[in-house]
Amino acid sequence: MVTVQRSIEMLGIATVLITVEPEESAQARPPRALCPRGFVVGHSLGRPNDEALQKRIVLDSLELLLADPKPGEVITRDYT
Amino acid sequence: MEKPLELSRYCVPFTPFKRKLEESLVCLVSTAGVRAKSDKPFEKEGDNSFRRIGGNLSASDLAVDDSHYDHGCIDQDVNCVFPIDRLRSLARETRIGGLTEAHFSMGFSQALRELRESTIPQLARAVSSARPDAVLLTGG
Repeated sequence: MVTVQRSIEMLGIATVLITVEPEESAQARPPRALCPRGFVVGHSLGRPNDEALQKRIVLDSLELLLADPKPGEVITRDYT
Repeated sequence: MEKPLELSRYCVPFTPFKRKLEESLVCLVSTAGVRAKSDKPFEKEGDNSFRRIGGNLSASDLAVDDSHYDHGCIDQDVNCVFPIDRLRSLARETRIGGLTEAHFSMGFSQALRELRESTIPQLARAVSSARPDAVLLTGG
């Protein structure tokens, strides 16, 4: 996934990744990444039909575009 | 002739984001095997293609082809891995400018060389053609 992200970023487009495998993602050095702690593959954006939580995670990830850059790092936040 | 240089994984590509979120078009890109229900399914045991997902579609128009993670959640709500309805809701609230006319997903594959040399460059160009201001990527 990070390989895809890095390829898009190299074309001059700002990207942000939502990952639930932070160690694996960090090894691949993503330009920007958010790990919502407590979720697993299959529901990386939280519980089904929990619109408020899913929107919070989407918005927090997009706001990493505006934050101080930390290329290569995965930012972990708790949503549980 | 020498091979072109490849980016070391210790080097991180970085494009500064200079816009406001509320003026930005966002494109969703996933590796979770998401597609329009009307589109050709992914081969679950290995598929190096990707699918274009129309920006007018909702999560209920989408299917997921995968046999490598638990589907208990996405069977109820594809937004769990592909938050297209949530982005649209944020656009209605003017928290983001909108969504691009196309989004994209790859399926499961372990043919890493073909992915790296063919699928991913094609996908990145297709994403660029959708002219997003920002791209949000999700795995499973």
